[in-house]
Amino acid sequence: MTAHFIQKPARRWLTLLAATVLTCTSSWAQHEHPQPIAGAQATLAPAAAVNAKKPMVRKARQQLGVGAAFAPDGALWVVGLNADNQLFVQSAPPPVGAAALVWGAPRVIPGAQDEMSADGENHPKLAFGPNGWVVISYTQPLAKPYAGMIRMLRSTDAGKTFSAPFTVHADRQDITHRFESVAFDAKGVLHTTWIDKRDLETAPKVGKKSSYTGAAIYRNESRDGGATFGPDLKLADHSCECCRIALTPGRDGVMRALWRHVFEPNVRDHGFATLASASSPEIVRATYDDWHIDACPHHGPGLALASDDGFHAVWFGMRKQGAEDGAAVRYAHLKPDGSPILASVRALPDERAEHADVLAAGERVALVWRSVDGARSTLKAWLSTDSGQNFRLVVLGSVTGDNDHPRLAQSGERMVAVWRNSKEVQVHELKF
Amino acid sequence: MNSNFESAGVKVGAPHVGRRAALLTTLAALFYMPNRALALVHQAQAAINKVVSFEVSTWHKLLKKGPRPAAYVFTTTYCPTCPDAFEQLNAAVLASHKKVELAAVVMDVQGERALAHAHHYQGATRIYAFEGFEPEIRQSVDPKWRNVTPYVVLIGRSGVVQRCIGAPDAAMLKAWLD
Repeated sequence: MTAHFIQKPARRWLTLLAATVLTCTSSWAQHEHPQPIAGAQATLAPAAAVNAKKPMVRKARQQLGVGAAFAPDGALWVVGLNADNQLFVQSAPPPVGAAALVWGAPRVIPGAQDEMSADGENHPKLAFGPNGWVVISYTQPLAKPYAGMIRMLRSTDAGKTFSAPFTVHADRQDITHRFESVAFDAKGVLHTTWIDKRDLETAPKVGKKSSYTGAAIYRNESRDGGATFGPDLKLADHSCECCRIALTPGRDGVMRALWRHVFEPNVRDHGFATLASASSPEIVRATYDDWHIDACPHHGPGLALASDDGFHAVWFGMRKQGAEDGAAVRYAHLKPDGSPILASVRALPDERAEHADVLAAGERVALVWRSVDGARSTLKAWLSTDSGQNFRLVVLGSVTGDNDHPRLAQSGERMVAVWRNSKEVQVHELKF
Repeated sequence: MNSNFESAGVKVGAPHVGRRAALLTTLAALFYMPNRALALVHQAQAAINKVVSFEVSTWHKLLKKGPRPAAYVFTTTYCPTCPDAFEQLNAAVLASHKKVELAAVVMDVQGERALAHAHHYQGATRIYAFEGFEPEIRQSVDPKWRNVTPYVVLIGRSGVVQRCIGAPDAAMLKAWLD
């Protein structure tokens, strides 16, 4: 049946019914959306009410993703969203002796009104540089799906005050700029990397779809603690679209990056690069799971400097083990150029391991991950005192219910795992 | 019914709506109920204006008493590979001319935020959203599944369950729909 065949009485009936529906639903629509939105809404809002059921209003799940870092004075800082979705920081000075960590009051950052991603792989971050510089970064999701902006707040007084948020990249299209990472190198240069789809947007289309595989990694540098930024630089074409990027300086103080890359033909392993110049760096393949997949693992790698000037890496992947896909979080020792020492590759001793990260200081290496079994989550660590040749499994804690991925922070020899759940932020000192 | 909706849906987004178009719009509103999130992208869409809660106990119930055959595409709002997999699955369903439950299950957001992605899942008969601790719900579906998406579960008429990451291949689809 189409409208073309509707007779006059039916038209009148329909018009009356539609008017009734509009009247009945206007109060609901205004309650849901105080701000008028697209013109089409006026037509569509009544449709929702024809259902005769008011949608159940549930409180949105709290975003628990935090960032953690040590300040130059040894205080541990965390940044995240509170229950009212306000950006807050909180810090704890270094404990004296065996005394417990004492947190200061959480401090809401005024002026940070953006919507923010604070969940899983895409969470607010905190980085301390020289000269009292502190930056907070996050992804601001936009209304358009997959679109976002990398936003930052900066402090020049060691975190006492922060600027209003600003956008980090020069490209301002409403497209993907997400999953940022930030770190200062040994010279105090602030490096920001992110996943970016500007090249996908301009690539030729095949049918309705772009011919561009994956996304790209872009980056920029700031030599004044985030006051100004250099141009957007492409680090790599064809990255995975939704995994965090690991950053750590090498022995030479120059920043290294490790990310999930899409190698030819469609293999999601990891690429490694040195962020040394404005030109496109060489991409070294760091993992060889040979995971042929057109999917979204949402599970980025971790990277830490090793005592031999190489690196410790941890990542999630699947590799063929006979006819089966062997999913695991794996560890490897990388050479200084980022290529793996294949004999060092091994799976973590936990088939439920997820979202692992790694820290190292000298010969000591700590891998920390979350292991979930139903409602119960356990925080586990694999600790080595011989640069990753042997590891000891340690259970750090467990919680029931919603919780964040573990976040690691380091200040010299001191390493901690910060783990937020819906009730508290736990800090676990990593004892070797 | 389907072509009728499509023509009406196109009229919904037109800037100048005539009398006939208004009637088409009214019909669309009454019978197909597109949602506001879809309106924002001016897409014709199936009759989905709400998100159904997917909790820890939901999967067990769906396996026991849910519609068959059925396909569940587990997805996230950050998964750009998911719409393609859904589209391929939907194309296979349309080609089969069979009545099939084809559900998108959004794992990372709820309510309006989940509906905002509904236009990626045209042809969906239902949109669910995880309510609760994501890994716990995920493990209730498959204890071995990491949060790699799209994760697709096909339940055949006889209750046979097939699982895959990404779009199902032809053999899986044949086994599911035959």
